[in-house]
Amino acid sequence: MVLHVRRWLSEVWERLESLLTGEKPDESDLDLYVEVTLRAVVDAVVPETPELADELGPEHVPGGLAVGMEEFLVTFVDDLFQFGFPHVGTRGNLPLSAPLVEVLDAAADALVAHGDNEAEPDVERVVALLGPGDPPARRVRRVAGTFAKLSRRDRLRALGILDEFELRVAPFGHGLFEFDAGLVGQLVVGFAEMIYYSEWQGYDDFSLPPSERTHPNDPAAVQSWRQTGYPGVADGYAALRGYVGTDDSPLGAGDTWTDIDGRVSIVRESGSFRENDYDTTGYEEPYPE
Amino acid sequence: MVAAHYDVVVVGAGGDGPVAAWKLGEAGLSVLVLEAGPFYGNEQWPKPNEQPGAESSSSVDDLSGRLLDEQFTTRELEMIRKLVFGPADHERGFWLRKFPGDGAILQCAGVGGTTLHYTGCHPRAYPASIDEQPHWPVDYADLVPYYREIEAMCEVTPAPVTAKEELFFRGAAAAGWDLIDGLNVTEPGYRPQPNAIRQPDPRLHVDAGYDGDFTYPEVDGDTLALGSIAGHPFPRGAPYEEKAKRASNVSFVPAALRTGNVTVRPNAFVTSIETETAGNDHPEATGVRFRDTWSGRVESVDCEVLVLAAGAIETPRLWLNADLPKNEWVGRGMTIHFGDNVMGLWDAADLESSIGQDTVDQFQGQDIAARFDYPGLGMLQTVGTAPGIGAILGFGSSASGFAFENDPDDAPWDTLGRLAGSELKRLLSGYRRTLQVLVVSDDRPHRRNGVTVVPGVEDEHGPIPLVNYEPSTGDRQRRDRLAEIAAEILRAAGASHVHRSDSPPTALHVHSTMAMGKVVDEACEAYDVGRLFVADHSALANGVGGANPTNTGQALAARTADKIVERYFAG
Ligand SMILES: Cc1cc2nc3c(=O)[nH]c(=O)nc-3n(C[C@H](O)[C@H](O)[C@H](O)COP(=O)(O)OP(=O)(O)OC[C@H]3O[C@@H](n4cnc5c(N)ncnc54)[C@H](O)[C@@H]3O)c2cc1C
Repeated sequence: MVLHVRRWLSEVWERLESLLTGEKPDESDLDLYVEVTLRAVVDAVVPETPELADELGPEHVPGGLAVGMEEFLVTFVDDLFQFGFPHVGTRGNLPLSAPLVEVLDAAADALVAHGDNEAEPDVERVVALLGPGDPPARRVRRVAGTFAKLSRRDRLRALGILDEFELRVAPFGHGLFEFDAGLVGQLVVGFAEMIYYSEWQGYDDFSLPPSERTHPNDPAAVQSWRQTGYPGVADGYAALRGYVGTDDSPLGAGDTWTDIDGRVSIVRESGSFRENDYDTTGYEEPYPE
Repeated sequence: MVAAHYDVVVVGAGGDGPVAAWKLGEAGLSVLVLEAGPFYGNEQWPKPNEQPGAESSSSVDDLSGRLLDEQFTTRELEMIRKLVFGPADHERGFWLRKFPGDGAILQCAGVGGTTLHYTGCHPRAYPASIDEQPHWPVDYADLVPYYREIEAMCEVTPAPVTAKEELFFRGAAAAGWDLIDGLNVTEPGYRPQPNAIRQPDPRLHVDAGYDGDFTYPEVDGDTLALGSIAGHPFPRGAPYEEKAKRASNVSFVPAALRTGNVTVRPNAFVTSIETETAGNDHPEATGVRFRDTWSGRVESVDCEVLVLAAGAIETPRLWLNADLPKNEWVGRGMTIHFGDNVMGLWDAADLESSIGQDTVDQFQGQDIAARFDYPGLGMLQTVGTAPGIGAILGFGSSASGFAFENDPDDAPWDTLGRLAGSELKRLLSGYRRTLQVLVVSDDRPHRRNGVTVVPGVEDEHGPIPLVNYEPSTGDRQRRDRLAEIAAEILRAAGASHVHRSDSPPTALHVHSTMAMGKVVDEACEAYDVGRLFVADHSALANGVGGANPTNTGQALAARTADKIVERYFAG
């Protein structure tokens, strides 16, 4: 088993190295390639889920693509870290989206090479994610990489094998810079989930300076808030039940609002913690090193 | 204008730096605090993320609650983007650090530092972690008077109970644990958080029928709306110093400015430490160089004593990037409270019968207001989050892969791993019936863990921190045991589904990278460099047992300030 994993990992590693130090795809197709791949990411992480309609209601069907999250993800990822080259790129930020999607394809290729995919890669999966006004299917078929062609679950499986690698990126020709491929998973799963479930969709324009942005703070403007039942930010709630108290502790006092277990209850007024004597001589390490 | 010389320069206005600045200012010393990030809620910087603003602030009259209200919108994505460690300029990304796996370091830049994010939980260290573990050269008893001083300044009181805390307490009691009511914790049990957040206005009791605004002066104190991680400006409308959360920008910065001896210069990233070696081989700190993050201009300032308080990643980075003597423990022995997330999902009817309402509504009440302590293992705490932060902290990553790949079998949780796709959407559709418990373990200092730098991998402030973290077997066992206890408590509280994330190492609490007894002496002065003190969480000798660290970091910084006066400015 260990050997099996190790061989698999070393295959991904070789693929990564050749990809990242080798030729980049044709510039004119690069943007489309990035977008198509991130579309496949969004489709795997926060998919459209018709199967939830009966169980939970129709508002739970649309996913990240219905709100155009893939486009925001590109700018978000490209602006997320700055790396001290104030004269290059946007304010010295590190444009990570292109290397990121190449890494996703490297991982997908390794998954397939090892036969750990549950379904065959199929370019029609990519085409199925196109909507009206998108570039022609022919161009999309040409740029789509392996990652986008995988089934949703296989895309997630491919992400799962990235954590153990060191990646080398060459930002602005300043020499190779290494970072951990786990960052890729963090960006396309963790950050993607945070963006989707946050207030993001409600902004008129997130790229405006903070003092000029407007947000209606209304679930009507944020699909994910309708799916979670989160009501938006609030200034306060009249939600106080009281303070923890017992008959023989100074923690709380006053009328009992509710009983917890016969000894401890929730009472009206707060008391304070005790400045108690302490004795650690009986301390035993639960798990000695 | 910032002067060319001060008695003391403090690097970093985070959780602990302002404590030292306040005490030193009170002692009559002239103090300059250099902070890499912006100064929110200050008239000198009306648009701190958009314009460079003024150079420095020395007066409490500059502080503005109105500006805090404007700048701290509590919208989660916007506030993470504003507060996480990076330059003030909103068009520029975070400062990059390298961290293993798909974990992350969560720290803030700005006056207040990471306490801008923090949830105000101010327990003391577990006495045994100081007196019985082998790391500390001082006794718990040495810290107690300083705890009292800090707790008074931060107005620490028992946290209020709303629905989610009642649910947790019911589970903890039903699982057989006792209530703790003391400040010095030696036995396992549950209790309300000792929080540095003013208690809510009594009129906000569920029975009181309050239907007014949640703004000052109609209400005073906390308003029981989630928002600590997103800045917490409540109650809105209140003057700066009447904000309920006593983060260090609200508690210690005004106190420091009020001494009349302290100047704060934000947007100033310190990049090197100046020393002189006179007579013997022992270098002494004489000042720093720093870079203005808006203009890029580099300046320098001299001092009699230098205090590093840049946090447990940047303090060792600064040492390593300066031309200082090698010490094999600089940057090493990092503890991060190797954590995990365990959540419960309830059926509406079960909630109705236990807490009298069919939702938990984790967005009501203080973010973190209930806890479970277990000296020797660490702690658990309930966490209310808005859905986005909840997703990234609780579900977005795992060391066990995706939940669909795991069959937890007879484990105490029903599902294990990272969530995405329809599983994620299904679980989050129950957001209002979910309660998340954060597992915080007492991981121990190991030399392999910590911060290094290599030439070449650098940003505009020099080589960036490369952070390594690999828990030991004992660290894992402590965390696993706590995760089981969390699952038992949630189950005993009636949860119908329990999920464990098995989160990768994620650093919300970072300590012990310049440890007392290893890099600094008992007064927190560096063994190898005179007149150089450390007053942030990096000086902690271990992870204080797994309790939230800020009370201890601040207590130690207060003690260090007294030692500085004793050693260099007495008489
Ligand atoms: C979401 C979250 C919730 C938390 N909740 C709690 C809680 O409830 N209770 C608790 O005890 N702890 C909590 N913590 C942890 C707590 O906030 C930190 O442990 C604490 O703030 C650390 O204090 P510090 O002074 O060591 O570092 P920091 O607060 O990080 O301060 C360091 C400061 O130095 C500045 N700086 C860094 N490098 C330089 C440089 N080179 N030049 C100038 N300035 C520099 C930084 O910008 C920063 O302002 C939480 C953390 C997070 C992320």
